[in-house]
Amino acid sequence: MSATPVGAGRPGWAGQLRAALRISRFEIRIAAALVVAATLPLVGALVLADRVAAENLALGLDPRVVQRLQSIPALYGDLFQARKQLYAVQAREVARGLPLRGAGAEAYLESAILRTPRLRHITWTSPDGAVLAEREATQPNPEGEWREAPARVELPDGGRLDCVFAIEAQYFADLAEARDLAETVQGLAALRSEIRRSYVRAFGALLVVWAAAAAVLGIWLARRTTRRVSRLVAAVQRLAAGDLQVQVDPGGFADEVAGLTRAFNQMVREVRESRDRIVYLEKISGWQEVARRLAHEIKNPLTPMKLAFQQLQVRWDQLPEREPAFGKLLAEVGEIMKDEIGTLQRLVDEFSGFAKLPDVRTEPAELGEFVEEFVRQNPQLTAAADVEVVRASGQTPVALDRTLMRRVLANLCSNAVEASRPARPRLHLGISRTRDRGIVTVGDEGPGVDPALRDRIFDPYFTTKAGTGTGLGLAIVKKIVLQHGGEIQVGDRPGGGASFALAFPLKAAGISSPASAG
Amino acid sequence: MLPRATRLLLGLVLGIALDARPAAAGGPPEGILAIRLTPVKGRAVAALDLAAVFGPSRFQEFGNGLTNVVEIYTSVLPAGGGSPLFIHGRIIEILFDVWEETYAVTVKDPEHPSGRRLVLPSSASLRSFLSDQRDIDLGPLPALPEDFLVEARVEVNPISKDQLQRTREYIAAAAGSRPSGSRSVLGAVASFLLREPDAGSDVHVYRSPPFTRSGVLPR
Repeated sequence: MSATPVGAGRPGWAGQLRAALRISRFEIRIAAALVVAATLPLVGALVLADRVAAENLALGLDPRVVQRLQSIPALYGDLFQARKQLYAVQAREVARGLPLRGAGAEAYLESAILRTPRLRHITWTSPDGAVLAEREATQPNPEGEWREAPARVELPDGGRLDCVFAIEAQYFADLAEARDLAETVQGLAALRSEIRRSYVRAFGALLVVWAAAAAVLGIWLARRTTRRVSRLVAAVQRLAAGDLQVQVDPGGFADEVAGLTRAFNQMVREVRESRDRIVYLEKISGWQEVARRLAHEIKNPLTPMKLAFQQLQVRWDQLPEREPAFGKLLAEVGEIMKDEIGTLQRLVDEFSGFAKLPDVRTEPAELGEFVEEFVRQNPQLTAAADVEVVRASGQTPVALDRTLMRRVLANLCSNAVEASRPARPRLHLGISRTRDRGIVTVGDEGPGVDPALRDRIFDPYFTTKAGTGTGLGLAIVKKIVLQHGGEIQVGDRPGGGASFALAFPLKAAGISSPASAG
Repeated sequence: MLPRATRLLLGLVLGIALDARPAAAGGPPEGILAIRLTPVKGRAVAALDLAAVFGPSRFQEFGNGLTNVVEIYTSVLPAGGGSPLFIHGRIIEILFDVWEETYAVTVKDPEHPSGRRLVLPSSASLRSFLSDQRDIDLGPLPALPEDFLVEARVEVNPISKDQLQRTREYIAAAAGSRPSGSRSVLGAVASFLLREPDAGSDVHVYRSPPFTRSGVLPR
C-alpha cells in the first residue's frame, strides 16, 4: 500500500481554479500586513508629492517668467515696427536721390539696391501709374530666407516709389514658436491648481495600483507558506482519522515549514512501521501458538505408534514359523513408518522451534564484523557456495542478539544457496549504512523472487519449495529482524537474483534495545 | 471583508488622491442686457450689445500677440425661473498679427462650426465687432415660452478645450524633463486625470428685461 501525498493530487481545472481563488484568513492577514507596510510610507509620500508638485509649479510658473514669455510677441512687434521705420527711412533716402525722369533711372535703382541693405526690389511709378523703372536684387539675401517688407514713398510729382525690403523669415518662425510656448505656459499657469491636483490624483492612482500589486504579491507569497500549512493541517486531520498512509509533499523549500513537513512525514512513517511491526508480531504470535499446539498434537501419538510397531516386530521375530511374504511386507511397512515418523518428528521439531523462539537479547555489535565472523564460522557455507562480503561503509554499530542473528543469516544464506542450484551458488553479502540505519544485504544469482509473491513470502507456512519447506524460515527471519527494531525487504539484486535487505537502527542513533518488542 | 484599519487607510489615500475640485464659477447678473430680438424666417434672432464687457482697457490684452478667446453663451430662460430652454454658443478667437498689425478673428458657432474668419484692421473695429454680436439664433419662435428673458454669459480667455488638450500633451510628454522625449508614467496618468477647470474669473453675465413671445412676433 503506497503513501498518499496531500496536495500532490491533480484535481480538475475547476477545482484548481477554486483552490487558486480561495483565500484563507491567514493569507488575507499577511497580504494586509504587506499592503499596510507598503502603503503607509507612500501615504506620507502622497502628502509630500502634493507639496512638491505645488512648489515645482510655483518655481516653473514664476509669474515674472510667464509675464516675460507673454510679452515676447509684443517685443517682436516692436522689432517689426523698428524695421518698418528703418525701411521707410531707407526708402525715402532712395527717393530723395531719384534722377530726373528717365535719365539713368535704371542705373540709379541698381546702385540703390547695391548700397541699401536688405533692399530687394524697387519700382518707380509715374503719377499715371506707368512703371518708369524697376530693378530687383540678383544676389541672394545674406541673411538667408526672407519675407517681403514693403515700403512706399509718395513722390512730390504724384508718382510713387515702391520698395520691397527683406525681413528674416526666421523672425516669424521664432515668433510662432514663442507664441506657442507662451500660450502653453499661459495655459499651464491658468491650470496650475488643476495640474497640481491631477499630479496628486495620478500619484494616488499609482499608489492604489502599487498597493494592489503589493496585495497580489503578498497573497502569492503568503500562499507559498500558508498552502503548505493548510496541507499539513489536512494531513493531520487524515492522520487523526486513522490514515497512516498520508504524506505531505515538502516541495523544494528549505524553511521551517518544510522541516515541519519532513518531520511529520517521518513521524507518520515511523508510526506506520510500528503499527505494521506490531501487527506482524501479533500475527506471528498467533501462528506460534498454532505451531505449538500442532507440534504437541502430532508429537503425542508418535511414541505409541513407534512402540506399537516395535512390539509388532518383536512378536514377529519370536514366532516359530514365519511366512516369508508377510515378513517382507512387515519389513517394508516398517521402513515406511520409520521414514514417515521421522518426517513428522522433524516437522514437530520445526514447529516447536518456531513456537519457542526465544526473546531477543541484544548487545552492542559492529555489523560488518558480525557478518564477516558469521562467514568465517560457517565453513560449510563457503564450501557450498562462493561467498563475497563487501563493506561499503566504515563502522556500523548496532545492537544484535548474535545467536538469533546468526540464525537469520543462516536461513537467508541457506535459501540463497538452494535458490541458486544446480549451478555453483554465488552469495553476495553487503554491509552499508544510511544516516540512521545499518544495512545488511544477502543477495544471490538465482531466479529471484516473483514480485507478486513478495508480500507473502514472510507469512508463516508459505513456501515456494514444493514438498520440502515448512514455510517457517522467512517468518522466523522477519520476526527476529522486527524484534531488533529493524526492517526486512526483498527485491532484485542488480545483475540478477534476489536480494534481501535487513536494516537495523544504528546504536549511535540513540535507539535503545528493542528486545521487549517480542 | 477588509479589516477596519485597511478600509480607513484606503479611504485616506483615496480622499487625498481625488481631492475636491473647485466649484464651478457662476454668479448673479452684472447688469441689464441690451438686446434686440427679431423674427427671421420663423426663428428668434438676437443682436446683443456687449459694449459694457469690451471696454477700451481690454484691447491692450487682445493686442498682446497671443491667442485670446471670447466665449459668448446666450440662453433663453423662462421668466418664472428654471433651466435654460435654448443655448447658443459662439467662440471667438482673436490673434493680433504683430507684423501685419491686424486682428485675425475666427468665429465658431452653430452656423459656422468650422469657423468664419475675419481680419479686422484695428482695435476699434475689433471692439465694434465684439460689442455688437448679431445673428444669434435662439430657436423657433413657437417654441419660445410666452414670457421669457435672455441671458448672455461672456467668458474672456477661459481655458479652451484646445488649450486643455495642449496642456495634457505637454505634461504627458514631460518634454522639459526627459531628454529622450519619452512619456513618463506619472505624467501620462496626470495628463489623463487633468480635469477641465472652471471658467475663471473673467466671466460676465447680463440678463435682459422680460420678453413676451407675442412681442417678438411680427405685427
